[in-house]
Amino acid sequence: MSELAYIRNFSIIAHIDHGKSTLADRFIQLCGGLTDREMEDQVLDSMDLERERGITIKAQSVALNFDSNDGHRYQLNLIDTPGHVDFSYEVSRSMAACEGALLVVDAVQGVEAQSVANCYTAIEQGLDVLPVLNKLDLPEADPDRVCTEIEEIIGLDASHAVLVSAKTGDGTRDLMEELIRFFPAPEGNRSGDLQALIIDSWFDSYLGVVSLVRVMHGRIKVKDRILIKATGRIHQVDAVGFFTPHREETVSLQAGEVGFVVAGIKDVKGAPVGDTITLASTPDVSSLPGFERVRPQVFAGMFTVKSQDFENFRDALAKLTLNDASLQYEPETSVALGFGFRCGFLGMLHMEIVQERIEREYNLDIITSAPTVIYEVVTKNGEVSQVDNPAQLPDPAVIMEMREPIVQANILVPQDYVGNILALCVERRGVQKDMQFVGKQVSITYELPMSEVVLDFFDRLKSVSKGYASLDYYFVRFSKADLVRLDVLINGDRIDALSLIVHRDNARHKGFALTKKMKELIPRQLFDVVLQAAIGSQIIASQKVKALRKNVTAKCYGGDITRKKKLLEKQKAGKKRMKQLGSVEIPQDAFLAVLKVDR
Amino acid sequence: MTNDNVETLEFDELPPLSLYIHIPWCIRKCPYCDFNSHAIDDPLPEDEYVNALMKDLSKDLHWVQDRDVCSIFFGGGTPSLFSPSTIHRILTGVGELLGVAKTVEITMEVNPGTVDRARLAGFRDAGVNRLSLGVQSFDDEKLAGLGRIHNGREAKRAIEASRDAGFTNFNLDLIHGLPGQTIEQALTDLRTAISFSPSHISWYQLTIEANTEFYSNPPQLPDEDLLWDISRCGRSLLLQQYDHYEVSAFCRPGSTALHNLNYWQFGDYLGIGAGAHGKITLLDQQSILRSWKTRLPLHYINADKSAGVRVLDAGDVPLEFMMNALRLSDGVTTRLYCQRTGLPPESIATFLRRARSRKLLRKGSRIQATQRGLRYLNNLLELV
Repeated sequence: MSELAYIRNFSIIAHIDHGKSTLADRFIQLCGGLTDREMEDQVLDSMDLERERGITIKAQSVALNFDSNDGHRYQLNLIDTPGHVDFSYEVSRSMAACEGALLVVDAVQGVEAQSVANCYTAIEQGLDVLPVLNKLDLPEADPDRVCTEIEEIIGLDASHAVLVSAKTGDGTRDLMEELIRFFPAPEGNRSGDLQALIIDSWFDSYLGVVSLVRVMHGRIKVKDRILIKATGRIHQVDAVGFFTPHREETVSLQAGEVGFVVAGIKDVKGAPVGDTITLASTPDVSSLPGFERVRPQVFAGMFTVKSQDFENFRDALAKLTLNDASLQYEPETSVALGFGFRCGFLGMLHMEIVQERIEREYNLDIITSAPTVIYEVVTKNGEVSQVDNPAQLPDPAVIMEMREPIVQANILVPQDYVGNILALCVERRGVQKDMQFVGKQVSITYELPMSEVVLDFFDRLKSVSKGYASLDYYFVRFSKADLVRLDVLINGDRIDALSLIVHRDNARHKGFALTKKMKELIPRQLFDVVLQAAIGSQIIASQKVKALRKNVTAKCYGGDITRKKKLLEKQKAGKKRMKQLGSVEIPQDAFLAVLKVDR
Repeated sequence: MTNDNVETLEFDELPPLSLYIHIPWCIRKCPYCDFNSHAIDDPLPEDEYVNALMKDLSKDLHWVQDRDVCSIFFGGGTPSLFSPSTIHRILTGVGELLGVAKTVEITMEVNPGTVDRARLAGFRDAGVNRLSLGVQSFDDEKLAGLGRIHNGREAKRAIEASRDAGFTNFNLDLIHGLPGQTIEQALTDLRTAISFSPSHISWYQLTIEANTEFYSNPPQLPDEDLLWDISRCGRSLLLQQYDHYEVSAFCRPGSTALHNLNYWQFGDYLGIGAGAHGKITLLDQQSILRSWKTRLPLHYINADKSAGVRVLDAGDVPLEFMMNALRLSDGVTTRLYCQRTGLPPESIATFLRRARSRKLLRKGSRIQATQRGLRYLNNLLELV
């Protein structure tokens, strides 16, 4: 337990690759949170997937004890924030628990759009932001230029920016001293009624629901009977404590502190993120403002390859949402793929991660249908409805108007790549709103159809700028557009899971590119497979996967048939992961061919 | 697997027994060959190898007590590198250890570049009654591309020498789909082969196998359409005089290769020699064994002969049976399936139903692939 004056709660804002996790690791090491042997790289990214992909998905926290040169021991609570554009909503959650934020900027690459957006979120939430220039060990580091960018692009005073190298550890101790001086201590009335904010909740198979909370007032201790305001349910506290990053139990959490609470809650919905906890004895304590509910932006159907896996799939989704409240799903029935779920995701990365987690953690083979955004449809009788599934689009005869979602995209990019970025935005039907030159960077603002942004725009942006461009975007409005449904037919049958809503001007090209890509992805079979793209009854593109001429092993004698058997078994296992549509076998990735189409 | 409920095998009779003898040396290794063969540099240790073979066979005998062998096959490598007297000693030794059927078929693989009439006559005197000549092609350029040690003229001479030495029952091995091969070239090879009236022709499409020189350094093969045309045209040419009784095997009526037929009918075989594989049904243990021998010739001679023995999982038996039996144009009876696998007909009921509904297996009481099933045999076998 630390006195309020000796607590600092802060998060780190940084673009991917700018060294946030490495810096966090240095802090942990300096404060002895882990022995060297335990010190795996990037401790805070605890999901396997996070570590593999080198990104942070879920908010995490770590409590560190730091002995300052001023002779006091400080409790520093570091709350991690995700760095990928798909997960920006998690950022505001992390910040609600903090008084300060470190803005970590790569001293070579300079400011990136995602950091700008997160930095504004922090400032709006009343946090003090301390700029940190990282990677000073690199010879190309240019702190002066980057400080100028921080001041001109973000409008943040960079005169007290701290220079560090998280990789070598240089400057990290000074940084900790500086953040103690720079960030205010939390405020709160420790003798008042308990009021704590749930920053995150996740399901642990041993403990049940674990909630990360920031105690605003009062204290919470083991055996307390607590009230979850939103559910009105009362639970008894089994344990409280900190992550150091080991889970360490304490007797209580006091106002100003950030730690975990376990209270025998079985379902993550029983401890909703953003909700307020108080004691059962003080039900009148007011609720904290909480967080805006995140809206999924990308929708896709998910189906099991084997129909008998449906029940397991339903369970898997239910379990997954215990830890990922942003994932939404409802039952969907596809003519081609049978029973499944229409799922809403924050973005494509989120979709990929969900699919990967289901396949890996639940051992199910999943087919994801072509992802789409939400469209607005106005019918001739004046009704406005939202459509998140191309198969559900009303008959074109009754549609008066279709509207697509438009986003405002803010892009930061070094001057050398401006041409490429503008060309990309034009290709994606963008309308330029603003362009400013700041230092070596250019700040570009475009309005773009969301459908052109969510799928692969970020990847394309990265590839046309050698990885330097960064992006932040948000929804602005629905706007009328000439949209059509592009259908895909396999051997004459329309496959609903492959339908897309596209702009009429792009339909022909898209139909051609999509069928061509599918032709590459679908293995040759015992008969010809004809792939067609159509708008209504009009076929606009056609490709044929020619039948195999034969498929037979020339030689087989007694001898050693083990290897031949293994080859057969491998071939067979590959088929098991394919979906049988009529007599045609379609591999999983062919359903997502639209993502692999070259423009 | 369609045979989920099967846990044990039940045999009440034993299949025919064959003996395979592997001779692991060649003058040089061909770039397409993935058999256990080793280029020779020193004089062949024929005597030591014969002793090793006999020790090897003695150790396997307890699996086959009181059973006669119906066929013996000398494979390689290049068995014809061994002298007739060595072959004679091997066959004599085998006869002392094992019962041999009166009608035994004794085949020897012959490399056309290693024999003359006298040598072949010597093999005949030693007891060999069938030859399999590794002709592969009569086209000098194609033979060079395959890394063979013989040319077309030597191939023809070897065939004539075989006939002169008294062999009437012989097979010619031919490979088609060779790098740069046209339909006409492939058919010319076949016509030449047929002109010698062999009792049997094995006509394989060249396959690039892992662990071969062609695999690491692939030649330009004919495209799939051309390969298909070659195999169709070649087949109709062969069918004028030969029965097409297995995927790559053609014979004059009544002259099937008994030894190979026993493999395809899931019969038993002992395998002796470096790297040889065996498959034996054991009544007392109600199981099927697979055995394999030490691969490196010197290790085989000087150290352990056996490299491993494994009891087949009941669940693997149907696929292993079908991988062999469905290669036969006439297929097999359900009775033979039950006899050889020790499994009841129900163990393949689902497979038969699915394969028949896809028109890959014929309807009726036999287990027999359709033309389509033979053409897409690997797809058919996926259903097992």
